[in-house]
Amino acid sequence: MSKKEWFKERFPIDYEKFVEINENIFMKEPIPNHMKKWWFCSGATPLIFFMIQVLTGVMLAFYFIPSPEMAYESVRHITQDVRMGFWIRGIHRWGSSLMIIALLLHITRVYFTGGYRKPREINWVIGVILFLLTLVFSFTGYSLLNNQLAYWATTVGTNMFKEIPLIGGFVLDVIRGGEDVTANTLTRFFTLHVMLLPILMIIVTAAHIIILRVHGVSEPEGFEKGHYSFYPHHFYKIVIISLFSICLMSTLTVIFPPGLGAPADPSVTPLHIKPEWYFFPVFRFLKLVPLLVGIACSAAFVIGMMFWPFIEPLLSKNKETQARFSHFVGALALLFTLTLTVWEMFFA
Amino acid sequence: MESSVKAQQWLIGIFSVLLIVTLIIVAGVEMKQTTSDKPHIEVDAKSKQCITCHEKQNIAVKQIDAWKESQHAVMGIGCTECHSANEDDFDAFKCTQSDVLVARHPTPKDCQECHEKEVAEFANSKHAHQFWIFANADRAIFENPISTRHGCEQCHQISNVWPDGSVGECDVCHAKHSYSMEVARQPETCGECHIGPDHPHIEIYNESKHGNIFKAKGASWDMNYNTTNNEPIPIEAPVCVTCHMDGNETQPMTHDVSARLGMESQSPWSYRPVWDEENSGTWQDKRARMEAICASCHAPDFYEVYLLTADLVNLQYNEIRREFVYWTKKLTANGTIDQIEANGKKISNVVVNGWDETPEDMMYHAWHHEGRRFRHGAQMMGADFTQWHGIWDLQQSLMELYRWAAEHGDAEAKRWVNSNHPSKFVPYKLFDIPGSAWGISAVVNTTPFVYKAYPDYWDRIKANVETAYNEGWLSKDQWDLWMERYENLDHYQGTKYTDDVKDLMDMYKQRNAKDTEAFTKQAVKLKLPGKEFYKK
Repeated sequence: MSKKEWFKERFPIDYEKFVEINENIFMKEPIPNHMKKWWFCSGATPLIFFMIQVLTGVMLAFYFIPSPEMAYESVRHITQDVRMGFWIRGIHRWGSSLMIIALLLHITRVYFTGGYRKPREINWVIGVILFLLTLVFSFTGYSLLNNQLAYWATTVGTNMFKEIPLIGGFVLDVIRGGEDVTANTLTRFFTLHVMLLPILMIIVTAAHIIILRVHGVSEPEGFEKGHYSFYPHHFYKIVIISLFSICLMSTLTVIFPPGLGAPADPSVTPLHIKPEWYFFPVFRFLKLVPLLVGIACSAAFVIGMMFWPFIEPLLSKNKETQARFSHFVGALALLFTLTLTVWEMFFA
Repeated sequence: MESSVKAQQWLIGIFSVLLIVTLIIVAGVEMKQTTSDKPHIEVDAKSKQCITCHEKQNIAVKQIDAWKESQHAVMGIGCTECHSANEDDFDAFKCTQSDVLVARHPTPKDCQECHEKEVAEFANSKHAHQFWIFANADRAIFENPISTRHGCEQCHQISNVWPDGSVGECDVCHAKHSYSMEVARQPETCGECHIGPDHPHIEIYNESKHGNIFKAKGASWDMNYNTTNNEPIPIEAPVCVTCHMDGNETQPMTHDVSARLGMESQSPWSYRPVWDEENSGTWQDKRARMEAICASCHAPDFYEVYLLTADLVNLQYNEIRREFVYWTKKLTANGTIDQIEANGKKISNVVVNGWDETPEDMMYHAWHHEGRRFRHGAQMMGADFTQWHGIWDLQQSLMELYRWAAEHGDAEAKRWVNSNHPSKFVPYKLFDIPGSAWGISAVVNTTPFVYKAYPDYWDRIKANVETAYNEGWLSKDQWDLWMERYENLDHYQGTKYTDDVKDLMDMYKQRNAKDTEAFTKQAVKLKLPGKEFYKK
């Protein structure tokens, strides 16, 4: 009995059909010609980073202990004692930053090519949800370190939920597991970071890709029509991007290794509490305007971004005008967030 | 349509590059900040003005660099918080460049604005005590004033009484302007003053096991640890402040270095301290605090015996001192020596100082130099200072005093000089403890003459120790501990086991005999043919 027959006996599926489905869905997935240009391939990069995050995250979880007494010490142990620990941690840490950059690039590409337009509005909404999930991922992730910065950034970050009218206090209680940032908060964030968020991320990403496949990749006008197969050209492109990403992350880890900072001390409030850089725009903005206004504006920004495919047609009937207006709004929003980021980083 | 595609491509291209470059730089800089220990500094405009001008004119720039490393800088505390002055302040001066009034000497009064507890604790400690002024007002006749400027006064600046009524100088230990805890904790910081023939504490520490471990491993210890949260001591072996100031699980951190001192051993006589009794409690409270620190690393059966032995060394010192006092008093009373005087007023003190005659010199050194080395060595594991720099020198001084008195016609001293009995070296009463804290030795207690020659030796000792206990010198626990050893004398003295190690000792005796034979042959009996150059 051949191995194939042995296997087929135990898994009595229509093997030929399976191969055919695989060929049709993956190997021969029709990729439009414009995707030969590199910057149209930005959709796969966040997924690559997510997979690297899962792999390195599992390895970090082997050593990480989510308790206020041990969290910092175990991260120190990973960074300083465990063989190749600093590399794995560095890749995980840089992975979070690069995943957000990759998402921003992807969003920029989709936005400026109008990839969100009918009939793909829902997939844009799902995409924005994925972006928000990534931010929650990052926030819960760096809080786990339980150093002074993480502790106080968690305290300040979660404090904002208190500002939500009516249910603010309750939400804060649920997130922190009590009034203050304690062991409960740490275990909650850990559970979110390693269980709930990954499951959600996988489900929502699957939905994002399924919708993408059902519709096919949107084809911007002005390119030569036609398609080519996913395998081998696009497949190798993804492999190249993956390898380049790992090299980039390793290089960045060596040049800028992740530090530890001072252990969390609830009794000493540091003078300068800053969140991670990807929250700088919101953080800077909140410092410029009254807190409630800042939170309302940030929420409006996110809602506006999420439902832009539905808002855009309301603004004008003319497609040309729509496109110009969207380009203008997009460029303005990007420049605005970039300016706030650079301001907070270098001039605050 | 073509232009729309071009626009899209340009927008995506520009923003992709902008996002990648800017955000990786931002993320990289942020990442670097997590590994950097350089603080982020923000101070008020006036302080900024001082710093800019000082840096431009190159005045005390290193002090500014040090400040930049300090917690003060991190907390946004600049120049003005400590250096601002009022017109009538004793140390006010006008900055020549800005007309700003500046305080030349920030004092504990300034420090207490934020460090109230620390300044109050310090003011209650013996670091703030003026004893050297009270007891030695006349010492400048021996050590002229210009010498004391950069001598006595430099170290005793720690207890300076400022015109603003505050006492002490915080930066004696907390080197300005970094005020680093790491520097303050270095044994060498204490050793700036606690050094030399009169109180060689840094030398004693270096000799001790504590100091040895610190020297071997201390370079990798983070000495900036916080000790105010009732957490375990984070270093393997103590430095000076670990025992005298730092907190542990049971003891609060304190700037009162006297709070844990259960024996006053720097003064001419040792005694149980009554310093700040109202706040700090009795000597037993102070000792209990020290023992609570010892307990971080040691078992009670070690440190209790160790400290009891050190206490008995202090009691023994008093008995030796009694001899020096007896002789200087006697020789002064009968006119053999006299006191320094001017305008009908005696300036020297019969029992503390005199300097111009040998017995006074011996008495002074027996207290101020070897007497302290003897006691402090016993308290801080400096065996060589208890022994060779301690009791040996003490005995030498006492013998010299006897010989001097005999040469100057004192009949009692002459009798001592003419005596050939070993007991002549013990003209005082003795304290002792059966065995030591280090373990049981099967042989070491077989040699002392007093053990062999006086069958009532331990009864005499017991009577002395019991009196010390009854007079409040020893606690009930210490007395019980001593008695437990007394009642099991053979065990603790090791004599019970001497026969068990006879074969072993015989082997060593044979080796010793072989050694003696060797040096006798090689050295003693060596005869050289070349003639001497000096005829005897």
